[in-house]
Amino acid sequence: MENLQLPPKPEKSLFKKIRAIFITLLVIAMYVWTFVGIDIDWGRAIERSISNFHRVVPKLFSPDWAAAGDVGLAMLETVFIAFAGSLMAAVLAVPLSFLAAQNMMGGKVVSTIGKWILSAIRAFPDLILAILFVVAVGPNAFAGVLAIAIGSTGMLGKMFSEIIESIDMDVVQAMEANGANKIQILFYGVIPQITPEFLSYAIYRFEVDIRASSILGIVGAGGIGTMIVFASSNRNWNEMGMILLAIIIVVTVIDFASARIRRKIV
Amino acid sequence: MIEFKDVGLVYPNGTEGLKNINVKINEGEFVVIVGLSGAGKSTFIRSINRLVTPTSGSLLVDGEDILNYHSGNLRKLRTKVGMIFQNYNLVKRSNVFKNVLAGRLGHTGTLRSILNLYSKEDKSLAYESLNRVNIAEKLYNRADELSGGQQQRVSIARVLTQKPKYILADEPVASLDPPTSHQVMTYLKKINKEDKITTIVNLHFIDMAMEYADRIIGMRAGEVVFDGPASEVTEKTFEEIYGRSIREDDLRGGADES
Repeated sequence: MENLQLPPKPEKSLFKKIRAIFITLLVIAMYVWTFVGIDIDWGRAIERSISNFHRVVPKLFSPDWAAAGDVGLAMLETVFIAFAGSLMAAVLAVPLSFLAAQNMMGGKVVSTIGKWILSAIRAFPDLILAILFVVAVGPNAFAGVLAIAIGSTGMLGKMFSEIIESIDMDVVQAMEANGANKIQILFYGVIPQITPEFLSYAIYRFEVDIRASSILGIVGAGGIGTMIVFASSNRNWNEMGMILLAIIIVVTVIDFASARIRRKIV
Repeated sequence: MIEFKDVGLVYPNGTEGLKNINVKINEGEFVVIVGLSGAGKSTFIRSINRLVTPTSGSLLVDGEDILNYHSGNLRKLRTKVGMIFQNYNLVKRSNVFKNVLAGRLGHTGTLRSILNLYSKEDKSLAYESLNRVNIAEKLYNRADELSGGQQQRVSIARVLTQKPKYILADEPVASLDPPTSHQVMTYLKKINKEDKITTIVNLHFIDMAMEYADRIIGMRAGEVVFDGPASEVTEKTFEEIYGRSIREDDLRGGADES
């Protein structure tokens, strides 16, 4: 073993060395520029957080139990928004994902268009969508549902199309070879292969949407976010503590449950 | 009857898969195609159900040239030509019974098959097919719970359920161990004899070819270089087909154990 002699590593060319140094310097310059550019008054920031610390943080840890009922209802609404939104997204994403999957569309042209549609949808942040839908359908939970639905469709559509592209096409060929038509192949060869993964990603997306929908209320799209805005503008930190507690509990429970369900499915 | 008349196939990248093939396969024959990998065995077999399309000549199945077939009559052709693959190609997450019923797809209307409304005859045919390859007890197991040999038997049952006139088998035993290989070949041979289904099998093991074939067709570089009854074949013939001397790994062995 001690005589092990690996062949020498290939020498890096001068160009590669210079490029590495250049990139390092560029990254450092960018960091310096951003910190100088945003003009943080470190002294003031630290001073303020020290003076506010004892007024805010202890109150967050003594939640206002009297508000538990209202907070609970708002949290429930948040969960409903996330559920309705991700369910809508899971349904909408299916046709789009088939459109974007190269092995289902026979050629690159259609699937590229499908992928473009999905990218375009993904380009909108949830909050921007929420603002648009609050304007369109008014400041209520329905705006939140639509924002979550559209926002999730982009991501789920992309995931679903990747799942479709990774199926075993030999099975599809075997069915072609025994005279099945396209629709029969879809139901016998494709759908059994994709269903568990589709469900798994839809549930995972629901998990993400719980978090996303808890802030939608900030722009008036329903759910617990509305209470966050009121509590912070009234400086009611005890209520804020209650809200945070509710979010933490619900998110943890749903993460845990979804992980267990998904392990069962796949 | 299957008849190749001057069939040639050039792949889009310029590779010649088949060169000037003239072969006639009669009803009820058990034909084994031998050759090294890349010799055109798969291309030959896949031309018959048009998984690949020859670019010249004509290929007659039951007297009709299938090379100009399109979707409708292509599906009709495929319902009477069953196929068995090296990797079984079962839907792993579906159970055995559903996989075998998939053999009926070509004979079943779209709506009926989607709603799982198979006739009693179809279901009993599927069950009987599983019985014929001795795997009926796995009826409700998921396909991925079975061993390779069991999966290949299920895929034979799927082909039987299709009630084909011809069976094509593309390297059906290449992923199996010797005893299982013999078992699978024995079932194929039995079906060929009992149901009078013309069977064409690709193999590269010469001992198995000699043991099971009625007739052997040897291929090299896209051409048929030997065609004759299995009784006339000797190791010398294989050396001519392969263009080199016979090696240990050209033999499957294990005939005594099965």
